Amino acid sequence: MQSGTQARKYRLQGAGLDLALPYLMLAPGLMIVLGVLVYPLLDGLKASTRTYRYGSPISDVGLQNYVHLWSDAQFLNSLWVTVKFVALSVSIEAVLGFALALFCLREFRGIRLLRTVLIIPMVITPVVVAIVFRLIYASDAGMLTALSEAMGGGAMQILGNPLNAFIGLVVLDVWEWTPLMFLILLAGLQSLPQEPFEAARVDGAGAWRVFADLTFPMMRPVLAVAIVLRTIDAFGTFDQVFVLTRGGPGEATRLVSIYGYDTAFKFQQTGYAAALFVTIGLVVLALAFSAIRLLRRIDAS
Amino acid sequence: MSSVLYKSVVKNFGALNVLRSLDLAVPDHKFLALLGPSGCGKTTALRILAGLDMPSAGKVFIGERDVTRLQPRDRDIAMVFQSYALYPQMTVAENISYPLWIRGTPDIERKVKIGEVAAVLEIGHLLDRRPRQLSGGQRQRVALARAIVRDPAAFLMDEPLSNLDARLRLTMRGEIKRLCQRLGATTIYVTHDQVEALTMADLVAVMHGGELQQMAPPIDIYDRPANRFVATFVGNPPMNILPVTLADNGVRAGGKIVPLERTRFFACRLAEIVEIGLRPEDCSVAQHDAPDVLPGEIYVVEPMGNETLVNVRLDGGNVSVRAGRDFRGAVGENIGVAFDAANACFFNSVGITAVHRVNSNGREK
Ligand SMILES: Nc1ncnc2c1ncn2[C@@H]1O[C@H](COP(=O)(O)OP(=O)(O)OP(=O)(O)O)[C@@H](O)[C@H]1O
Ligand SMILES: [Mg+2]
Repeated sequence: MQSGTQARKYRLQGAGLDLALPYLMLAPGLMIVLGVLVYPLLDGLKASTRTYRYGSPISDVGLQNYVHLWSDAQFLNSLWVTVKFVALSVSIEAVLGFALALFCLREFRGIRLLRTVLIIPMVITPVVVAIVFRLIYASDAGMLTALSEAMGGGAMQILGNPLNAFIGLVVLDVWEWTPLMFLILLAGLQSLPQEPFEAARVDGAGAWRVFADLTFPMMRPVLAVAIVLRTIDAFGTFDQVFVLTRGGPGEATRLVSIYGYDTAFKFQQTGYAAALFVTIGLVVLALAFSAIRLLRRIDAS
Repeated sequence: MSSVLYKSVVKNFGALNVLRSLDLAVPDHKFLALLGPSGCGKTTALRILAGLDMPSAGKVFIGERDVTRLQPRDRDIAMVFQSYALYPQMTVAENISYPLWIRGTPDIERKVKIGEVAAVLEIGHLLDRRPRQLSGGQRQRVALARAIVRDPAAFLMDEPLSNLDARLRLTMRGEIKRLCQRLGATTIYVTHDQVEALTMADLVAVMHGGELQQMAPPIDIYDRPANRFVATFVGNPPMNILPVTLADNGVRAGGKIVPLERTRFFACRLAEIVEIGLRPEDCSVAQHDAPDVLPGEIYVVEPMGNETLVNVRLDGGNVSVRAGRDFRGAVGENIGVAFDAANACFFNSVGITAVHRVNSNGREK
């Protein structure tokens, strides 16, 4: 009798540990997530409903910050610049990355080296990349100016000219992030089954038809994921612009991230900046969700 | 003209020699079954003909054309892959009609064709599904449909029935044979199922270890195997092989002297034969002490319904004998094996058939 109770007790204790173990193991990670992600997020949300003076909140204004955003010409302009920047960079990166991935799928001598070299830009610190590009673009001693002068032209105005500065920024982003696209798409291509491609060749499809009828449809999910990832990431681009142009000349390269930074730290409008970033976060979230929804619909049909 | 010719085709994968000098000629409009055990290079041979692999040496001809260096799509062939190779993101109907679509066949014509082949292969109800929603056997039939929807110079089929159930396999066997005869295209049909090979083909080519062992009409493959491998690979249960030594006017096998006809005896002596081959159906059970039978004891009895397979242990090895359905015997019982020496063939020391059987109907070739 006694030993029976004893056994039940042990069993229960054992079961208790079994039940608790997953939570115990999750706890440290969960604490960190709560501490560095959830708390700042909630704090940011709170901040976005207040106005600040000299760094401390002075009053609750409800949703007024959010409403104000949509009549702020500078914000709307920065949003427009960002959308242009993201759309242009990401689409160029996708096309270029796909082309490179298709090219690097073939086996030939030196292919491993090529694949390695191609992903180097991605692993360099963004600030360093921006500094290097500043050196390239600089109108007095930059590489482009040197090249142009060697060929008999004058100094190249890149960062001083609104259109050129914007293009220069897109070129930088493409240079740095095409490798990520390339890497994701190459992995996707390599995981496709081989036989359908052989069957298509026997069935009479040429290189273009194989791409259009097989490769592209089979790669669509991977491509979509890569684009969504890059889009979310590109919306947050900050360091490169900050180092390269600080948003100038004028507002030509002022992305929302730069504008938000300026409002927060230059103009000390902490609450307004918080509302701005929350809004951008929601926009990106909505974008990502609709992209995934679209993807699922394509997959199901 | 769509005959197929392999001319001294060699294929190496690195150091691995998969095909050693394959010479194979398939006449126009013939149905050739490529038969061999797993890993003998059947798929490799087919892929070389399709243009998916380059031979390491040698040439391939379709009709009069040397196609060795041509792209697959310029060879005018249709292929059924061992692994189906369906297009995953297309529906069954799109899969089937893809070869036609690529060639710009008008919509109406395509619809009609899809309907036709779908009916033949009993997949009409699956046309709107995608490959991943199909069973293995259904996928295989879709792959088959995609190949036969067109009218190519040659069909290449890599074990197209291996995943079907027994009943479907039987019907499909007949359907494919009819279809190939109607379309009149040269067909190379890879299989490791000898029944398929023997029942469907005009010609059977037996491969082993990357080498062609024999190419002949099914009946000859069965009756006049070129060597010991073909003899034992084709036929179920396989041919019985017993070691023999030469004796006066005959051979000594299973502890008895088997008398041989004079010319056959001399041929055997000349070729220095070492083994005798006997088909199970050419043997019969007898009293163990009857004259001219090989004495032994029953090892296993397997009733098959329409007949009984009796495995008998003799001096020198076991032999299978086909006996009547009413055969009764206990394991270990003494029994004799009787046969007509004219139905036996003899192998020399390297396994080549030195002396063939004299066919029972007297058609000695
Ligand atoms: N791409 C390859 N690289 C290296 N070895 C290969 C390759 N393809 C086939 N082989 C080898 O070549 C041999 C013949 O292969 P093959 O696929 O032609 O056999 P098979 O006769 O079709 O067999 P099965 O009946 O099992 O399909 C095998 O030993 C296989 O391991
Ligand atoms: Mg095979």
